Amino acid sequence: MTPLATAALVAGYERDLPIIKGIDFTLAPGGFVAVLGPNGAGKSTFVKAIAGLVPVHSGALSLRGANVTGLAPHELLRRGLAFVPQTENIFATMTIRENLQLAAAVLPRPARAGRIGAMLEMFPDLAHRSGALAGGLSGGQRQMLAIARALLVKPQVLILDEPSAGLSPKAVGQVFETLVRINAAGTPILLVEQNVRAALKVAARAVILVDGRLRHDAPAAELAGDPEIGALFLGAGHGEGARA
Amino acid sequence: MMIPQILLEGALTGALIGLGAIGLTLTYSILRFANFAHGELLTWGAYLSLSVAGLIGAATGASLPPIDPFSFTWALPVAGLIAMLLTAALALAVDAALFGRLRGRGASTIIVVMASFGASMALRSGLEFLYTSKPAYYTTELQIAMRLPAGMRATPDQLLMLGLTALVVLAVHLMLTRTGIGRAMRAVSENPALAGLTGIDTRKVIRVVWILGGALACAAGTMSGLLVQIRPYMGFDLLLPLFAAAILGGIGSVPGAMLGGLIVGICEAFAVHLIGAEWRAAVGFVLIILVLLARPSGLFGRAA
Ligand SMILES: Nc1ncnc2c1ncn2[C@@H]1O[C@H](COP(=O)(O)OP(=O)(O)OP(=O)(O)O)[C@@H](O)[C@H]1O
Ligand SMILES: [Mg+2]
Repeated sequence: MTPLATAALVAGYERDLPIIKGIDFTLAPGGFVAVLGPNGAGKSTFVKAIAGLVPVHSGALSLRGANVTGLAPHELLRRGLAFVPQTENIFATMTIRENLQLAAAVLPRPARAGRIGAMLEMFPDLAHRSGALAGGLSGGQRQMLAIARALLVKPQVLILDEPSAGLSPKAVGQVFETLVRINAAGTPILLVEQNVRAALKVAARAVILVDGRLRHDAPAAELAGDPEIGALFLGAGHGEGARA
Repeated sequence: MMIPQILLEGALTGALIGLGAIGLTLTYSILRFANFAHGELLTWGAYLSLSVAGLIGAATGASLPPIDPFSFTWALPVAGLIAMLLTAALALAVDAALFGRLRGRGASTIIVVMASFGASMALRSGLEFLYTSKPAYYTTELQIAMRLPAGMRATPDQLLMLGLTALVVLAVHLMLTRTGIGRAMRAVSENPALAGLTGIDTRKVIRVVWILGGALACAAGTMSGLLVQIRPYMGFDLLLPLFAAAILGGIGSVPGAMLGGLIVGICEAFAVHLIGAEWRAAVGFVLIILVLLARPSGLFGRAA
């Protein structure tokens, strides 16, 4: 069953100002889709609308065939949708363990400790300082904690908004490696990225969003080899990505 | 008067202020607005305790003797517990009728604060209408102050109140730091959007905050009514010290609110004895200004 689909989705922060202007999109089982596009195209707004953070004006959102349009973020999470926002995606005033405990609260009580343990095993960098405040983590470690928080509940769909933003090249490599591992284990991923080159390397498919509409939908390899697409849709700042 | 006695009196007022400020600091940090109607929750709590105690008294034929060595009968603690539930219900009702609607509409903070000002007046007028503005008392029993070390004197009621306050503060602190709902409250306070994404139902957390804030306000109001008197303006007059305590302790911090309350109470007591009773109200102002200038995040607060 299709893990995630939108039909004619219109969404925006204010009632009469749609930012997302009718998007039909499906994420296939096990899929890994990159959402690309120029600054201000509405990439973040699109995934925030899916996650329940931005009001949907019309159209529909479905998870595994069930209509979930208009549900609150915590209800969507319980239905298997996990979202990692671009910024402020961890609780800085709490310890790493508390961040994970918060996420584990949606699981049945007996399952909680096991999942927290599994996440700490998956991210050893977090494990040996689990009592430290999350606010003291480096950018890469913060991203790992945010991803761990999302994965802890075994989501049916994982959505991330620019997880590479502001990270060192080494940290970007680690984050993307982790995403590939997660996807290989069966979790479909929707990834918003500015870092086009890196995104096209890990994603199987890419969509290009321009002014709130989907303008291009193609296998990542095809897009990566098409300099025209890069110049047309990704903006000057992304030239190196299109050449990759 | 001797310094230990001034400290003790300050601590007594301060404990009440701290208890009331806990609810204020929690609503401030989690609902993100300064609730000017919080004082009225104290007052309503005090009057609800009075009414329920009166009903219990009537039902038992007013035959209950005071609990030795205190000034009140069993009717008051039982009524206090019931009134805590009723005040929590009142806080939930005000939220459902007013603040919740404004939140749903995405109203700006200043609108919500002004609405709380209106709620404060309406709640206070309601009390004056129901109970008149004449002071009321839980008991007419007179208490003899006991001699304590260092030349201090206090009544058994006062000492009981200090002990109860310490217990309540400890319980609320443990709840916030050790339980799931406490963690969820801290999460909503830090980042409501992320809390939702983490699976927390913010509406449920907000309900818990009102229940806790209302119940603690009732406890503070009832104790204040027992030690001083019950008046429709008692909570409103405490509002400034409550804010001073919450800001001094750092918005969102329960131990901070308590410590802030003690500091405000002790400063007030010294101001009364050294300068004059008419300066009591100025203490809250001065403390708020000093804290905002010197350390806006308060003693226990995190930088915004
Ligand atoms: N909180 C907000 N309130 C109102 N409008 C917003 C808000 N956030 C973004 N917008 C507007 O929505 C439009 C799309 O922004 P969005 O952040 O979705 O773009 P983006 O594709 O993610 O851009 P970037 O590549 O810079 O992250 C922009 O015109 C922006 O001004
Ligand atoms: Mg964005």
